[in-house]
Amino acid sequence: MLRHHELDRGLNAEVRFHIEMETEKNIRLGMSPEDARRLALRSFGPMEKHKEETRDARGISWLENLLADLKYGARALLKHPGYAALGIMTLGLGIGANTAIFSVINGVLLKPLPYEHGNRLVVVQQSRPLAGQPQVGVAIAEYFDYRERAKEVFDGLVEYHQMNFDLINRGEPDRVSTGVVSANFFDLLGIKPIVGRTFVEADDLKGAEAVLVLSHTYWRTKFGGDPGIVGQVFEMNDRPHRVIGVLPNVPHYPQENDVYMPVHACPFRSAAEGNIARQRRAFGALSVFGRLKPGVSPEQAASTVESICHTFVNDKQFAQVYRPETSGFRGTTVEVRDALTTGARDLLLILLGITALVLLIACANVANLTLARMLGRDRELAMRAALGAGRGRLIRQLLTESTLLATVGGLVGITFAWLTIDMLTTFVGRFTSRTGEITLDPVVLVFTLGISVLTGLLFGTLPALGSRVDLVSSLKQGGGQTGDAGSRKRIQGGLIIAQVAVSVVLLVGAGLLLASFYRLQRVETGYRSDGVLSAQIYGNFSRYPTIVEQRRLYLPVLERLQAQPGVNFAAITNAVPLGSGGPGTTRFNIEGRAVDDPERRPTADVRVATPQYFATIGVPVISGRAFNDLDTEESQRVTVINKSMVKYWDGTDPVGSRIELPTPTPPGQPPRTEWYTIVGVVGDVRQFGLARETVAQIYLPLTQSPFGIAGQVLVRTAGDPASFGNVLRNTVRDVDPNQPVEQIQTLDDLRSEALAAPRLTATLLAVFAGLALLVTLAGIGGVIATSVQQRTKEFGLRMALGASRDSVLTMVVRQGLTLVVIGLLVGVAGALAAGRVLSAYLYQTAPRDPVIFAGVAGLFVLAGIIACLIPARRATTVDPLIALRAE
Amino acid sequence: MAKLDLLQGTLDLLILKTLALGAQHGWGISQRIQQISENVLRVNQGSLYPALQRLDTAGFIESEWGASENNRQAKFYRLTKKGERQLQDEQAQWARMTLAVRKILETEV
Repeated sequence: MLRHHELDRGLNAEVRFHIEMETEKNIRLGMSPEDARRLALRSFGPMEKHKEETRDARGISWLENLLADLKYGARALLKHPGYAALGIMTLGLGIGANTAIFSVINGVLLKPLPYEHGNRLVVVQQSRPLAGQPQVGVAIAEYFDYRERAKEVFDGLVEYHQMNFDLINRGEPDRVSTGVVSANFFDLLGIKPIVGRTFVEADDLKGAEAVLVLSHTYWRTKFGGDPGIVGQVFEMNDRPHRVIGVLPNVPHYPQENDVYMPVHACPFRSAAEGNIARQRRAFGALSVFGRLKPGVSPEQAASTVESICHTFVNDKQFAQVYRPETSGFRGTTVEVRDALTTGARDLLLILLGITALVLLIACANVANLTLARMLGRDRELAMRAALGAGRGRLIRQLLTESTLLATVGGLVGITFAWLTIDMLTTFVGRFTSRTGEITLDPVVLVFTLGISVLTGLLFGTLPALGSRVDLVSSLKQGGGQTGDAGSRKRIQGGLIIAQVAVSVVLLVGAGLLLASFYRLQRVETGYRSDGVLSAQIYGNFSRYPTIVEQRRLYLPVLERLQAQPGVNFAAITNAVPLGSGGPGTTRFNIEGRAVDDPERRPTADVRVATPQYFATIGVPVISGRAFNDLDTEESQRVTVINKSMVKYWDGTDPVGSRIELPTPTPPGQPPRTEWYTIVGVVGDVRQFGLARETVAQIYLPLTQSPFGIAGQVLVRTAGDPASFGNVLRNTVRDVDPNQPVEQIQTLDDLRSEALAAPRLTATLLAVFAGLALLVTLAGIGGVIATSVQQRTKEFGLRMALGASRDSVLTMVVRQGLTLVVIGLLVGVAGALAAGRVLSAYLYQTAPRDPVIFAGVAGLFVLAGIIACLIPARRATTVDPLIALRAE
Repeated sequence: MAKLDLLQGTLDLLILKTLALGAQHGWGISQRIQQISENVLRVNQGSLYPALQRLDTAGFIESEWGASENNRQAKFYRLTKKGERQLQDEQAQWARMTLAVRKILETEV
C-alpha cells in the first residue's frame, strides 16, 4: 500500500514535468505563458484518465487482491451474520479444544525439561520382573557401583530420597517434606540459587555442619521471602540445621519438597551407609539419576547400567540377596522426560485425537453451511464470472472467506482455551507432575493459527470445488437451480455421512467411559466411607524411634479419642483406604508348608490395626474375631487376614493356623521371624484404588506389630465428621504438643478424590461427544432444510397431484435417514477398531459393549429423524398453490 | 500533411528504439519520436505513460529519477539487456511485416 502512494506521487511529478516541458516549448515557439500552458494541457488530454491507465498498466499485486478479497469477504460475512456466527462458534469450539489440548501436550510432552541439558537426564530403574516388582529402589551400595563404574557415560550420577522431618520454627513443629540429595544434585540439574548457595562437597562429609536449602515456595509462604533467611538456624532431627540458600521458582524433580539436605544430614541414610558392607541392599529406597556426557546416547547409558547391574546381581557373594533366577533382578536407565510423562502420554494423545475429530466435524459442518449458502450466491458468482473473473479468482475469493471465518473462529478458540486451561492442567496433574509449563505460549498460538488456516482451506475447498458455475443457466434461472446441483448434493451427503461416522465413534467412546465410571462408582469397596474422619500423626522418629515408643503416642491418643463424646469408634492404622501408596509385598510362610526360597514364598500386604479398626470403617468380620484389648504386647501373637488371603489354605479354615512373618531387625543383626496365630477373617477392602483388585492382606494389632510408622487416625463420629477436626487436633495436642496433625479429611472425600480422574476423563469425552452430536444434528437439519427449500415447488406439485402430507414427509425423512444410517455403519466399524485405545481406561466394560453400541445407534436414528422432521414439516405445511409459485 | 496516430503495437517498438539511442524522460521520448519522424508521427500522451509503465513491468526498460537538461527532477528511462533483445526481435518482426504488407500492396491488379 505504501509503495502505491509513492508510485502515485512519482506519476504526478512525471506528468507535471511533462506539462512544464511542453509549456516551455510552446513559449519558445512564441506563445504567451497562459496560452502555452493551456495548449500543453490540452495536448496532454484527459489527465486523470491517463493516470488511471498508467496505474492499471502497473498491474495489481497479489496483496491488493488479497486485501480486496478480505474486504469483500468480511462484507459478505457481515451480510449473513447468522451464518458467520454459527460458523465462527462451531470452529471456535473445535479450534479451542485443539488449542487447549495442544497447549497441554506442548507443556508436558514437547517442551524440554526446565533444566540445563534437561534432555540429557536419565533415571536408573531397577526391577524384579519375575517376582512381580516393576520398581525396586536403588540401594546405597548399588548406587556406589553405578557411580564408580559408569563414569564414561555420565557427567555425574546423583541420588535422591524423600523424608518427612519436623522442622521447629519458632517453637512450632512444622512437618516438612525433605529432599535428601547428593551435594552435586543442583549443579547436575543446573539450578542456581536466588539467595545464598546450594550444596558443595564439604557439606556432605561426615561430621560436617547440617545445612538446608529452602524451596522457593516454602521460603515465600513460611518466611515471607525474607532474604535474611540465609544463616538462620532451625532445629531438625534434634540438631541445629543452618539455612545456606533458597532455590529459584522452578519445578522440582523428582518430587516437590519444602527443604533439601545433603545425604549425611539424613540420620537414616547416614546410619544405613555404615552397614553396606554387611547388607548389600541397605537403604534400597534411593532414586538415582544422571546426566549423559555430551555425545552419549540414552541407549549407551542404558546398556552400561544394564551390564553393571548384571555384574553385581550375578556376583556369587550376593547370591542370597538378588536370586536372579527367581527375581529376574535387572537395572536400566530411562530418559527422565519419558519417565515423568508415561502416565499422561497415551491419555493426552487420545484427547488430541478426539479433539481433532471434533474439529473435523466442525469443518464438515461449516463446509455444509457454506455449500448451503452458495446456493444463494450462484447469481452473484455468475455475475462476477460474466464480468471476467476467472474460476481461479472465484475459488480464491471463496477460500479467503472461509479462511477469514476460520481465523476469527481461531480467536474465539484461543479465548475458549484460555478459559479452560486451568481445569485441564488440574486434570492432567493427576497423571503427571509436569504441569508447571502449560501455558498459551507463542508455540501454541502458532499452532492455533496454523490449524485455523488449515481448517479454513479444508472447509473452503469442498464448496469451492462444487462451484463450477454454469454462467448461462444460473443467470437465466435466477439463482434457483444450477446445473451443478447434483455434485453439490453428493458433497453434502458425503459430509453428513462423515460427520455422523465421527460422531458415532466419539459417542461410543464417551458411552464406554461413562459406563465404566458408573461401574467404578458403584464398585463394592468393602468398607463404609461415610461418617469417618482421618488424619495423620506420624510420630517424629527422634522422639518415637521405634514402634515401642510410637505406641506411647498412639495408644493414649486412641484412648482419649474413644472417650470423646460423639465418637462411635476410633482406630489407628498405617494407611487409609484409597489414600496414596501401593500394597506391600511381605513374604510369609504358612505353618506346615514353609517354602525355603524366599522369592517363591507367597506375598501379602501387612497392615496395622487396633481393636475398633474394622468397626470404624465398617469391614465385616467373616469368621473368628477382630482384635480386642486382650491382645497386648505380652499375650500370644495374633493376626487377622482378609478374604483374599484365604485362598492359600485351599478350602480349609485358616482360623487357628499360624503364619510366619519377618521381624525387622536393627542393621547388623541376623534376620528374625515371628509366628502369628490367625484369629479371624475379615472382608476385602479396596485399599489401593477402586479399580484395583484386592490383594491378600495381613492385619497385625498395633500392640504387637514389629513394623513401625502407623500414625493414621480414623474416627467414626455420630455427627458430621468434617466438623470433628478441631477436637481431633486438640486431643493429639493434649498428648504431645509438638506432634503435628496433618491431612485431616473424610473418607468420603478420599473416595471422591479417587474417582476424580475417571470422572473428568469421562466428562471431557462426554462433552466433546455431545458437541459433536449437536453439530452433526445441526448439519443434518441444515442440509435437509436447504434441500427441502429447493424442492418446495416439487412438493407443491406432488401435493397438488394428490400426494398426502405424510408421504412427502416420509420421503424427506427417508432421504436424511439414509445418510444417517450409512454414517452409522461407517462409525460403528470405526468405533470397533478404535475401542482398543480406550481399554486401559475402562473398568469392567468391554470396548465392544453391545449395549453402548446399540444405545448410540438408537440415539442417532432418533435424533436424525427429529433433525429431518423439523425442516420437512415446514415444507409440507406450505399451501401447494403458494409452493407452486415459489422462486 | 496531417499528423498520423501510431498504429496499435508500434508505440512500444518506437519507445524501445528511442531509448536505444540513450536514456530519456517521457517528454523527451515523445519529442524525439516527433522530431525523427519529421513531425509525421504524433505520440498520444494517454498512451505513452501507460506504455512506459508496461515496458517497465515487463523488465524491458528501467527508470531512475535524475536532473533534466533544464535542471528539474525528471524520470529517466533506460533500455535493459532484456529490452535490447526485445527491440531486436520486434524490429525483425516489423521488417517482416512491412515487407509482407508492401508485397501485397504492390501486386499488380
